Amino acid sequence: MMGLASYLIISLILFVVGLVIILSRKNIVAILLGIELVLNAAALNFVAYSRYVTNNLDGHVFSLFIIAIAAAESAIGLAIVIRFFQIKETIHIDEATQLRN
Amino acid sequence: MIDQLFGFLSYYIPELITVILMTTLLVAEASVKDEHAPRTKIHVFTQIILGIVFVCLCQNLGETPVQIFHNAVTIDPFSTLMKMIMVVGTMGAVFLSHSSKDIYTNLKSEYSIMAVGVLVGGMLLASANNMLTFYLGLEILSILSYVMTSLKREDSTSTEAGMKYALYGGFSAAIALFGISHLYGVFGSIQFNDIAAQVSSLEGSRLAITLVASILFFVGIGYKISAFPFHMWAPDVYQGAPIPVTTFFAIVPKMAGLASLVRVSYVFLSEGSPLKVSWVGLILVIAALTMTVGNVTAIGQNSVKRMLAFSSIGHVGLMILGVVVMNQTGVQAILFYGIVYMLMTLIAFFITSHLSDMYGSDSYDVFRGLVYKHPVMAIIMASVLFSLAGIPPFSGFVAKFNIFAVVIEQKHYGIAIVAAINSVIGLYYYMRLAKNLIFGEASSDEKVVGFSTLNQTVIIALFIPVLLLGVFWESALALAGNATIFIK
Repeated sequence: MMGLASYLIISLILFVVGLVIILSRKNIVAILLGIELVLNAAALNFVAYSRYVTNNLDGHVFSLFIIAIAAAESAIGLAIVIRFFQIKETIHIDEATQLRN
Repeated sequence: MIDQLFGFLSYYIPELITVILMTTLLVAEASVKDEHAPRTKIHVFTQIILGIVFVCLCQNLGETPVQIFHNAVTIDPFSTLMKMIMVVGTMGAVFLSHSSKDIYTNLKSEYSIMAVGVLVGGMLLASANNMLTFYLGLEILSILSYVMTSLKREDSTSTEAGMKYALYGGFSAAIALFGISHLYGVFGSIQFNDIAAQVSSLEGSRLAITLVASILFFVGIGYKISAFPFHMWAPDVYQGAPIPVTTFFAIVPKMAGLASLVRVSYVFLSEGSPLKVSWVGLILVIAALTMTVGNVTAIGQNSVKRMLAFSSIGHVGLMILGVVVMNQTGVQAILFYGIVYMLMTLIAFFITSHLSDMYGSDSYDVFRGLVYKHPVMAIIMASVLFSLAGIPPFSGFVAKFNIFAVVIEQKHYGIAIVAAINSVIGLYYYMRLAKNLIFGEASSDEKVVGFSTLNQTVIIALFIPVLLLGVFWESALALAGNATIFIK
């Protein structure tokens, strides 16, 4: 039996996995993927709450918006990363040190 | 239904014009034949339309607060005044971008397009009345900001700054969204109205979830206004971005973030809210740390651009204090501070940008002996520095005084002392630059050239209100005093 709790636990796991990836991985594309995981955790929450608790469509609409915005955000993020790669020829986050003094 | 929609649209004319302006600019840029032609016409067009937006906003100012589009958007005098500050800030930044050498010529109209786009997001954020419009506004604001930061395409620092901004921004927006999703589960609605109505009856596990979720939610706002634990991106982005972009970031996203912070605080702290103690405590600590970090880091800077950027973090810390008191005088103080801060920041960055274009550097040394090279510029810059430091008779003093007054009125003496110490630190580094300006020995006899009459007129026009608001502040405060916040 799948209840609200199962969905919340799955989304919490997604959230934590996303956070760990963002904080520990050094590859910029992997960090972007981690951000996507956190966003999807939020979207899953919205749909689950919408189904089991609130019985209105706000959550569904919100999750659709999240998907659209996540796409826009990763498009921009990847474009900037490509630019970074063309200049530095690496996508390792530790190479981004020019702005530290 | 249709009639109602058109009725709503009549309140939404400024935003509509701004969106149309953005698309028009896209088409106009596509039709430019010569890539290296100066985009004077496009810039003049942008200024005129933004002027019209400003006039429309002035007309909205007198309206009674109204909620439109199924309560998704609030048009109240508070949000309208914030939007007016943002529009003037954008106009100033676009004007600066026209003469600045820091933006490549073939990207000059891209700058306008993106600045106007960020303005759209800021306007949406300032009048957001549910979580969805809040999130949309935040993301429109952020996503375009990433591109603006890396506008200097060939430059590795600019690209690196944009990348860091995109990573930090995406991270904090995602965390805020996770908080929002749990708030939706607890309250069963994404409307701020419903949340404000229910927040006082919370107890048990719902209260616990709300506490955690509202802190996560604050991450999203805190990062936009570069409040303390989330200010890490600010130094890098401010340093890496071209000067007109830094100018823009110091004004528009911060004002939008502050506006939403005020509104969200009103939502969660309605009468009898159990969150009140923890939220006020949180904001006091954050404000104190933001101020201190901003001001202390500003001392050690050798680049004026970086110094101004850090001091803007300090100013935001002071403005956050106006949120703590949660009453009309606090909002009034924030709005007045916002107006004055916007004018001062524009002038200071304006002069810095011109000198940095001329000498290829923005260190303190290029300001040495400026008073002999270009007296008008030096006098205005020195006055603005005095005003930023909060010395009477300039308006910066009145702005700071208002914040102190509301904080002391609520008996938060500890934070008032922290703010006072920060003002002294601010005085130190502003005066160091002012001393360079007036008493420093110029390294050469070379005059400052190329600061055209138009530029001089603009900085004088921006400077007059800084001076006048310091004297006739009561009428401006009365204008801000009518700016009620409307949640219910």
